[in-house]
Amino acid sequence: MKEVVYLSELEKIARLSKLGFSAEELQSFLRDINDIVAHFEKLNQLDLQDVSSTSHLGGGEPPFFSDEPQAWEGSEEVLKGAPWVAGGYFIVPRIVDKEEKENEDRRI
Amino acid sequence: MKIEEFKDFTIQDYHHLLEEKKISPLELIDIFLERIEEGEDKIHAFLFVNEEKAKNEAREKTDNWPEELPPLWGLPVAIKDNICTQGMPTTCGSKMLENFVSPYDATVVERLKAAGAIILGKTNMDEFAMGSSTENSTFGPTHNPLDLRRTPGGSSGGSAASVCALEAPCALGSDTGGSVRQPAAFCGVVGLRPTYGRVPRYGVVGLASSLDQAGPITRKVEDAITILEVISGKDSRDSTCAPYPPFSRNEIPSLEDIRKIKVGVPREYFSSRVEKVIGEKIQEALGKLKGEGVELVEVSLPHTDYALEAYYIVASAEASSNLARYDGVMYGLRVEGEDLQDMYFETRTLGFGKEVKRRIILGTYSLSSGHYDEYYLKSMKVRTLVRKDFEEALKQCNLLITPTTPSFPFFLGEETQDLYERYTDDIFTIPSALAGLPSLSLNCGYEGGLPVGLQIIGGPFEEGKLLGLALWLEKLLALPSPFPELKEGRGQ
Repeated sequence: MKEVVYLSELEKIARLSKLGFSAEELQSFLRDINDIVAHFEKLNQLDLQDVSSTSHLGGGEPPFFSDEPQAWEGSEEVLKGAPWVAGGYFIVPRIVDKEEKENEDRRI
Repeated sequence: MKIEEFKDFTIQDYHHLLEEKKISPLELIDIFLERIEEGEDKIHAFLFVNEEKAKNEAREKTDNWPEELPPLWGLPVAIKDNICTQGMPTTCGSKMLENFVSPYDATVVERLKAAGAIILGKTNMDEFAMGSSTENSTFGPTHNPLDLRRTPGGSSGGSAASVCALEAPCALGSDTGGSVRQPAAFCGVVGLRPTYGRVPRYGVVGLASSLDQAGPITRKVEDAITILEVISGKDSRDSTCAPYPPFSRNEIPSLEDIRKIKVGVPREYFSSRVEKVIGEKIQEALGKLKGEGVELVEVSLPHTDYALEAYYIVASAEASSNLARYDGVMYGLRVEGEDLQDMYFETRTLGFGKEVKRRIILGTYSLSSGHYDEYYLKSMKVRTLVRKDFEEALKQCNLLITPTTPSFPFFLGEETQDLYERYTDDIFTIPSALAGLPSLSLNCGYEGGLPVGLQIIGGPFEEGKLLGLALWLEKLLALPSPFPELKEGRGQ
């Protein structure tokens, strides 16, 4: 089977997708993706130069809402399912990267 | 009353029983809960049985019997587990949402409840609707009630199995590339995929937003009509929902007009890839229509052979975007990490199964710089060609008839060397999904106890003609409704 997707590219795609793989898993996925992508080559048999693309099936203008505030009482229900909430905020791990943090720590 | 007495019931029959007070909602729910208890260790159609709340609701209805009963009053309904149901789990068959309890109802669930239905429980499915067997469910597969060694199909396998086994009178599923129709075919029941935009997607967990449609899985075509009347119609919360009122059975033509319908038979759907017996059963059904004076017309859908590839690019690309929301921040699984990026990686790596990861990778690859034109743009153009094929064919006829699947339900755990081969299970359901057309599967016969699904495809928003022909064909075929004994091996 001709390899169309290389390991380095798969690693990049995995990073973009925020998915982690072991070396063994990467090799297995590499085989799977190349197997599937090989089938996609079939679409090259078609002359698509003058064909328009269909990205969605709905016709007409998208619906609009009036720009007026509406009361919504659902916050408590929505926040109930969150892993970590405090003061009405979703709490997540530190966003500042490690190097910035080390620099910050050095300044303090 | 006993469950076997409901074998040939329609929703109207339950409604009459309740109207005449020959049964109470509480008695009715108890009968189905008992059937679920009898069958579930063999079938595993349900991920969550809403026993306590369903009984409370049934009890309340029994104590407050209205003068005039809404159309689904007291009717138990099973819901596929990717459709949000307030206060109940909505797991999508995934570890990522294993403990997620939805804070709201999907529009389709709201409408069922407003019509008086009682939610019986949530049914098993392939993880995030990616699959055609329920084997991709994190929580174990569902077994086909007609042969417990085999798959019920997917991704709405739990819904189809529950209806086949009469654990539920009817169910909702979702169909992206065939996930209502294929399991309906494998389980010998009716599955309807409405026109894209006919039924609101608000509250249906997104897989591929330009393809997803919720639809009914029922024992009779009549019931698919009843459910469609309830769940269809515009909804301002779904911007892709067509601005039409709900479907009405008044749109179904008279039998006299149905007889005048021209049925198109696309030659590409009767190739060597179809199992011989399946092709024969479809031809027998077509023969019955011809015998009644219906004109059959051979048509061609020349780009059928490219639809599968186009679909998997489009669906994977949209899925990779839709599933980016599962990051551990606001709901669902969270796996802690050293920092935010780490948390994203750990959560998504642990939360998603192999097939989901595969499709996210495929989708991200198709959309990535340097590949967008090669794959995604190309597939959107092929989608245009597939749509035009149907437009042209439907100028020569009113409806199309094809097999629903190329093969019979396969054995659970059946290994396949070629990964892509499993994707070809949906080869006959994918094209009409790409084109956004309404399509229905109904059983047209059995071979060795296994059902054969016949698919009817209609023009956009022409569910009336489609359901009219399906009703009539169902009557002509006069097949027994499934009521499997739920033994090991073949149950019908």
